[in-house]
Amino acid sequence: MVHRVLLVGFSILALISQAAGVRANEPVSHAEMVKAAIEQHIIPHIDALKAAADPLPGAVENVCKSGSAESRQQLSQQFAKVVEAYAGIDFLRFGPMQEKGRREQISFWPDPRGFLGRQMRLILTAQDEAIAQPGALAKQSAAVQGLGALEYLIQDKDVPLGPDEAARYRCVVAKAIAGNIVRLVGEVSTGWEKPGGWADKMLHPGPENDTYKNESEAAVEVVKALIVGLSLTADLQIKPQIDPKIRLKPPYDKSGLQKPFYAASIASLHQLYNALQLESYLPPERRWMKDWVAGTWRALEASDGAGGHSSHVERDDSPTPREVFDRANGLRNMVSNRLSVAAKLTVGFNELDGD
Amino acid sequence: MAIDRRSLLLGTLAFVGAAPMRGALAMGASDIAYVSAARRADGSYTVLLLRADGSVLREVPLSGRGHDIAIHRPSNKVAVFARRPGAFAVAFDLATTRQPVVFTPGEGRHYFGHGSFSQDGRVLYASENDIESGDGVIGIYDVASGFKKIGEHPSYGTGPHEIMLLADGKTIAVGNGGLDTVPDAGRENLNVDTMEPSLAFVDRESGKLIAKHTMTGDLQSLSIRHVTQDATGLVWFGAQWEGSPSETPQLVGSAGVDRALKLIEPQAKGGSDLKGYIGAMAVSADGRYIAASAPKAGHVLYVDTTTATVVGQSNLKDVCGIAPEGQQDFAASSGFGVVRYETARASTITEHELQDISFDNHLRRVG
Repeated sequence: MVHRVLLVGFSILALISQAAGVRANEPVSHAEMVKAAIEQHIIPHIDALKAAADPLPGAVENVCKSGSAESRQQLSQQFAKVVEAYAGIDFLRFGPMQEKGRREQISFWPDPRGFLGRQMRLILTAQDEAIAQPGALAKQSAAVQGLGALEYLIQDKDVPLGPDEAARYRCVVAKAIAGNIVRLVGEVSTGWEKPGGWADKMLHPGPENDTYKNESEAAVEVVKALIVGLSLTADLQIKPQIDPKIRLKPPYDKSGLQKPFYAASIASLHQLYNALQLESYLPPERRWMKDWVAGTWRALEASDGAGGHSSHVERDDSPTPREVFDRANGLRNMVSNRLSVAAKLTVGFNELDGD
Repeated sequence: MAIDRRSLLLGTLAFVGAAPMRGALAMGASDIAYVSAARRADGSYTVLLLRADGSVLREVPLSGRGHDIAIHRPSNKVAVFARRPGAFAVAFDLATTRQPVVFTPGEGRHYFGHGSFSQDGRVLYASENDIESGDGVIGIYDVASGFKKIGEHPSYGTGPHEIMLLADGKTIAVGNGGLDTVPDAGRENLNVDTMEPSLAFVDRESGKLIAKHTMTGDLQSLSIRHVTQDATGLVWFGAQWEGSPSETPQLVGSAGVDRALKLIEPQAKGGSDLKGYIGAMAVSADGRYIAASAPKAGHVLYVDTTTATVVGQSNLKDVCGIAPEGQQDFAASSGFGVVRYETARASTITEHELQDISFDNHLRRVG
């Protein structure tokens, strides 16, 4: 599973490296940064999520019809593909992902108050067949609309999805959720890629553009997403490993996807970092930062995201969770305080997140 | 609720080794014009006491990122609160360089970054989170006993942000942002689709709810965060939009105990031009003009309270701190170390820049 993520990751990295090689050591313009981020990272990752999500309703349907071990395995594998693909765009919290609260609807995590479980129990108790009507699920809480809710049903060993009468209504709900995920991902994809969509908005800034007045504003948006992604990974995925007081379940751990989620998050962030080519702005005396950043990516990739060592990286020793956490925070600070400044893309101290 | 002595001790220990005060000791409190939390270039956090010309007179190092400052001028008392979801506050005296007092909200609580002194300076109120239940509370602290926590009032909402003791000396206005957060989940908002923002008016002595106005319908995602009060007693609020960016409403409005929430005009585009976020509010010394900073957009919006219309909008990258200056002017501070004086018509009077300083969200006028 992890290897599949990396294969996709390395393919995208190779694409980015080829593009970068054309103009090595020459600072890229802000417009070029945005173009590279969209064409080499954002759109491929959204397409990957759409490709993974589209077969999901069919996989649910097969389990509910046959209940065979093979159909269950196929559903688990398809679900894992969607979760891993989603991990690659979780931090793109602007534009179509932010619009209409789609991000929370696709993936309601973290959930420290156990809201999802309570809402799902209410739905299953109510047995309201109207939930199968088009658009009905979209009117429910974000918690029950996406991947977390589908995982709740797939992983319930007491009443497994299948053709049995006991699972009949659960299958109604599961099909509605799978269809809703496809709808949401489709809206994100269309929102980015349609003519006049978010990609066009970022690629064509100007006085008439209601969001991006110039190329730098669009580039700052992408850099902010990178910073947000590093923060989310550090605080929500790594920090719980070093602070036993934190009570936060890992993402999709019922499905055993904590490690693939982490690997996909880091791989995607690394790809976005490479696409932006922020290092091209570093003066010769600051080139040491490149080595530090490269070492940090190696450390992040050497972790399996659960306190252990991943099996597919260059670094031989196991970085401790403490080192991984400190490295992730250091990289966030490096991007927000050094590299973005060097690239004249200063992200304001107060504007990064609201309070 | 009893204070958790262990967390109090830990909070205090966090400051051991930090200089109690840095700066010109000979200077008196009368030289201090503004106070703001800030970050230095080395990544450390501090509270800066500024002269009117923007230069630093003194500073109080912090162990983490600060947010807003409550000031009681007659007694020269100052309290700085940790940024959400921090759990420390630091109190010190403007007139002396005595060791600051560190205090905490106690077990199972964290601060939201804001507080307000009673008019007599004997009590400090702070906006806090009951982490387990998610209910907002107003922590009550006895100043004379070293800011010992002596009780709590409900905030009558989730995620109380700025609280302000109104001019009547009896009523606390609370901007209940409506957003549920848990420190274990960092700064993630957990209930965006079910949030219920409100502006609550709470009796400071009894803790009883006097009035509460809730954002509903199309405005359910408009998180009320910051408040100030004009010369007529009306409370003005600045909000943060958590809904679809394409549907961003106006972000500034007003309400009173007997007056419902009302957003300023025009409605269209006003909020999206401000990128959905007001970071701080201030009222001019004469009580006529309201300033609302929008750091994501890099604007300060000025509103004439007599007409409830926008009379000026200035541009300053990452501006957030805003405070009155003179009778009708304002001082604004930015994440890039700029302190600018400007009129409510958005004309710049003077501007200073401090090197290696990032001013945090709030700037407070002393006096």
